Amino acid sequence: MSAVLLSIEGLVTRFYTELGVVKAVDGNSLHLAGRESLGVVGESGSGKTVTALSVMRLIENPGRIEGGRILFRGEDLLEKTERQMRRIRGKDIAMVFQDSLSSLNPTLTIGEQIARVLKFHLRLSKKERWRRTVDLLAQVGIPEPEQRVKHYPHQFSGGMRQRALIAMAISCTPALLILDEPTTALDVTIEAQIFELVEGLKQEFGMGTFLITHDLSVVATFCDRVVIMYAGKIVEEAPVLELYDRPLHPYTRGLLGSIPPLEGGKARLDSIPGEVPDLISLPPGCNFSPRCGLADERCWREEPPLESPAPGRRVACWKAGELG
Amino acid sequence: MGIYVLKRVLLAIPTLLVASLLIFSLVHMAPGGPIRVMLGQLQDPELIERLRHQLGLDLPLYQQYAKWMGNLLRGDLGFSITVHRGAPVAALIGQRISVTMELAAFSMVIALLIAIPAGIVSALRQNRLSDHVARLIALAGVSIPNFFLGIVLILIFGVYLRQPWGAGGFVPLSRGLGKNLAHLVLPAIALGTAYAAIIMRMMRSAMLDVMGQDYVRTARAMGIGWYSIVRQDIVKNALIPVITVIGNSIGYLLGGSIVTETVFRLPGVGNLVINGIFRRDFPVIQAVVLFIVVLRIVINLVVDLTYGVLDPRIRYGGAE
Amino acid sequence: MAERRVQTGDYELGAHRSLLQEFWHNFKKNKLSLAGAFIVLCYAVMAIFAPLLAPYNPVEQFDAPRGVRNPMPPLSRDVDGRLFLLGTDKFGRDILSRAIYGTRTLLELAVGSIAIAMVLGVAMGAVAGYRKGTWVDELIMRLVDIMLSFPTLVLAIALVGAFGIGSVKIGPFTLSNLVKIMLVIAITYSPRFARVMRAVVLQEMAEDYVVAAKVTGASGLRILTREVLVNTIPTIIVQGSLMMATTVLTSASLSFLGLGLQPPRPSLGLMLNEARDYLFWGAWWYVIVPGGLITLAILGFNLLGDGLRDSLDPRQARRVRR
Repeated sequence: MSAVLLSIEGLVTRFYTELGVVKAVDGNSLHLAGRESLGVVGESGSGKTVTALSVMRLIENPGRIEGGRILFRGEDLLEKTERQMRRIRGKDIAMVFQDSLSSLNPTLTIGEQIARVLKFHLRLSKKERWRRTVDLLAQVGIPEPEQRVKHYPHQFSGGMRQRALIAMAISCTPALLILDEPTTALDVTIEAQIFELVEGLKQEFGMGTFLITHDLSVVATFCDRVVIMYAGKIVEEAPVLELYDRPLHPYTRGLLGSIPPLEGGKARLDSIPGEVPDLISLPPGCNFSPRCGLADERCWREEPPLESPAPGRRVACWKAGELG
Repeated sequence: MGIYVLKRVLLAIPTLLVASLLIFSLVHMAPGGPIRVMLGQLQDPELIERLRHQLGLDLPLYQQYAKWMGNLLRGDLGFSITVHRGAPVAALIGQRISVTMELAAFSMVIALLIAIPAGIVSALRQNRLSDHVARLIALAGVSIPNFFLGIVLILIFGVYLRQPWGAGGFVPLSRGLGKNLAHLVLPAIALGTAYAAIIMRMMRSAMLDVMGQDYVRTARAMGIGWYSIVRQDIVKNALIPVITVIGNSIGYLLGGSIVTETVFRLPGVGNLVINGIFRRDFPVIQAVVLFIVVLRIVINLVVDLTYGVLDPRIRYGGAE
Repeated sequence: MAERRVQTGDYELGAHRSLLQEFWHNFKKNKLSLAGAFIVLCYAVMAIFAPLLAPYNPVEQFDAPRGVRNPMPPLSRDVDGRLFLLGTDKFGRDILSRAIYGTRTLLELAVGSIAIAMVLGVAMGAVAGYRKGTWVDELIMRLVDIMLSFPTLVLAIALVGAFGIGSVKIGPFTLSNLVKIMLVIAITYSPRFARVMRAVVLQEMAEDYVVAAKVTGASGLRILTREVLVNTIPTIIVQGSLMMATTVLTSASLSFLGLGLQPPRPSLGLMLNEARDYLFWGAWWYVIVPGGLITLAILGFNLLGDGLRDSLDPRQARRVRR
């Protein structure tokens, strides 16, 4: 494994809404080495997307990054100017978003949108840009790329569009690729194809990948390490096989317990009782305590710190490891 | 795309037919006819009867309607009874239409030149001072009736500043483009202000909508420069709904020109129809109102088609 | 009490206010809406208390002093020494009194025509929406489309032209001019209400609670009236207030063209028309007073309408932007 590519230290991101302050990301730290694949898992509202957007410095009003450091290749991204960030976005760090239809400009052709990224980051002639765009489309497995390049987003199927978004993201061979639930809107077979594609690209370009998902089964095939987030905090981290083998946090166990065996498919999270917490009014102790079967007095009162029981593993739970 | 066009066109035809029926009924419902206006105090029943017959007004209504429609299709819009006795209405409209068109076009140009940039800037500088000021001005623009604005402008430029072009009246192109435009500036401002305000608000609103869209976020995430994003992502997409509003609001210009022409004494079509109403000139009223409605429907059609061309989602159909 | 949820990014936050409280909270914050409400209130007061506020009889003509001719500027006195705060018109009538009564008529017209337009439009729209897809729906909406293809002023003018200027006899009934104009404007604007109403009805009918009601066997009509209509009230109120502004504009335009109230009844639009002949006399008060009052009324209703719309539509009031 190569040196550390991305290191987030104590990131705090909050949203100041009319109804209160939302602690979207509450002092999280994680790291990713080059060529490594990190999975970030959690329900909606857990803070995983906000973490990614914070890395890209795309947090906007009423949100604000309030603390911590984000070290990319040793440099703190939070110290950079907007101009510097613009040069990094799309070139060194790229992000693939969830909803491919709404994430693409409906009035520009796919080719124009990809070529625009190339134009901003690389010094290529117009001809070279078009050539490269077509090649990219071919690389992500879109048939007849010379024709497709002139098509508009709505003329693509969901799976093809997602591939096009991926093409846009890897166009400048970024060192870090962030994928935000890239396959949630797609069905299982297409999902498998997309991940195959990304895996191939990962190997070929040597990218570090940051995969955000709520689906643990996807993480198993694709990621090297996993981080579990709940209500804005990291609750567990482990190499993927170890997580499946011996989950320490009750939440993780809940997530794993709800994967149907063998068939794969989406993890259904409704086997964990209760609901996603209101991020404005969180309980004083452990965030998960209202829904936890093992919770006791201490859990309700005191927030468990993130500790490292073994190398490469972290967990924040007073009852870590206890079986319920 | 072809089907889209065809559907729209076919839909317009029955609309036009019913509209013509509506116009005809409205006009002929009116109490008192042109005869009384023409004859003034004379009450000779025989004379009245003869005139009625001569003008074809004694035929049953449906026959009159049929005659009218038949003539229309042949390009004959009838003859004016009281406004300009005997003059073919088509010719009257023809003479005056250029004035109205020039006024409307001028208003539109001025309005768009101000409204669209104002809307864009207002949205980009949302909630800052320039935004608030622009919105307040737009609000004022929408609230001032165009005839009031027109009269105030005449008061300022015609009376107090004694400008010759400030008092209304029309100077045809033949006597010089400069004078022609000068006399149309105030009317264009009076007519175009409310139009500009509506467009500006719409532009701002569309811009703000688009700015919150995911694809703008994608562009930023790819490191695209802000000016490029504004041009190609925001404005380009925001213009689509705005074009529709621009086209649909032309109806306002058509209606408003009636009032503006009255205020500034411009010999346009609006002026003609007002005279027609006061003097009960059925052929004139029918023809002009129908003309305006047809124009409106045609413009709506053109706007729909333009929309189809501008939005690639309509131009090229769905996913493959 | 309806619970509302606000979304910020991925998060859903529970709000603990009813719709009414939410509305009032938002409305209070917006200074412009308050200004609009204040203006409308002032106008309402002026309209209601017109006889008490007007110093003179609006149709009474007064003689100017020797050497002076009507119209007289503000703060002039007539031959008997009476003071005219805002001057006189061409016939020596007090502008202030005429303005006050004219405003009253303007408001009467606005309120009356909107009320009728609402009734007509809501009825048409509700029926069309409820019977969506049937010939009833098609017929009503085609009619609406056709009426909307007339620019509003043109339609209003055509209708006035049809009914005639002045009061109208329909069989044994005589419609006063005022009522006739109200009807004309109501007919002109009811298509817009119909359209909005239909859209809202369709939206509500697709909501879960309607499906639930149908499943439990409630009859169609009952669903419509009890559940759906109640929920369309905010939209109707917003549309109504927004359209007040335009109806005022249209009725003023009609008056200006001489198609509205006939002299000697005081009418703001007509006063503006009369003023045109005296522009070169410098009779600015003849223009500014009626014109300003009309403008302020429209402004007030616009502000109020905008404010209501922003407060009642939670989505509009709280969008997250760049």
